[in-house]
Amino acid sequence: MSRISSAIVLAMLVLTGAMGLKTVLTIHGDSSVLMANGTAPIPPTPWKNGTAPIPPTPWKNGTAPIPPTPWNGTAPIPPTPW
Amino acid sequence: MVGPLGYTIWLLGALLEATVVVCSLFRGPLRRYFTLNLYMAMSVLVNAGRYIIFTRHGLMSSEYIYFYYYSDAILTICLYFALMGLYAIVFEELGVTMRLRVFMMLLLIGTTLFSYSVVHQSESRMLTHYIVEISQNLYFVGLVLTYVLWAALLKLRESRVRVIQIVLSLGMYFSINAASYALRNAYPNLRFVWGYLPVAAGVFLPIAWIYAFMKFDDEARLAPGRLAAVPR
Repeated sequence: MSRISSAIVLAMLVLTGAMGLKTVLTIHGDSSVLMANGTAPIPPTPWKNGTAPIPPTPWKNGTAPIPPTPWNGTAPIPPTPW
Repeated sequence: MVGPLGYTIWLLGALLEATVVVCSLFRGPLRRYFTLNLYMAMSVLVNAGRYIIFTRHGLMSSEYIYFYYYSDAILTICLYFALMGLYAIVFEELGVTMRLRVFMMLLLIGTTLFSYSVVHQSESRMLTHYIVEISQNLYFVGLVLTYVLWAALLKLRESRVRVIQIVLSLGMYFSINAASYALRNAYPNLRFVWGYLPVAAGVFLPIAWIYAFMKFDDEARLAPGRLAAVPR
């Protein structure tokens, strides 16, 4: 039993480390995908192409209150330049 | 648009990957390093498939894009199993094969569940998101596992040259890819360099494995350094 427990703990440690490393490397990324197999030319990611609807951005989910946008205030809103 | 350099590297990579399997077949270690050869053989097949689809439909076609990303996930899973085989070889004398298998399978299951938890809110193309996510996550798990294996080699004072060569080359391969990804984001104006670096790493890995299979015997050991003379 202890052997299985130690295997579970080790697996979780490695997974945590790997995901931490991924976060560090991709945090400033341009949401491109790291492709590492073979020498074939790398195409764009599938969800950047096509006519299918684009999924909602992650910050539209959740129940937390939405912070005010920077241009909010009490001053009257000017017309758009065009 | 793929230029002559891109085609050359692609062809070179595919030929070198096929050479690894052929060398392994003739030099004998095919069965011992079965998972490594399975990865290389799968790479050759995938490259052939990618080339056929690429020539018929083009780089920006949906066919090529989907085939590329789905086949990449298969290759990453094969690479994970290759690492599993290397762990089994390194730790074979310790008699922990069963525990290692449990650990590796738990890690694989954990990675798939984690990937699902990341993408399960996607409203469209969930399967594609999932496939790409699992490929990415397994890649980083493989990176960490390679460094752990590298540390284990040092700790166990492993002296089999072929095993050391394969593990070190795999570590280099993972590191070059991760570093080029990070540097691409840091220096986006050098995109040309970062685009070709992972591809060049894809050529480096089969060369290193061919060298390991052709140059060294399975029993070849590192010559011990200067022995310490302990006065009694």
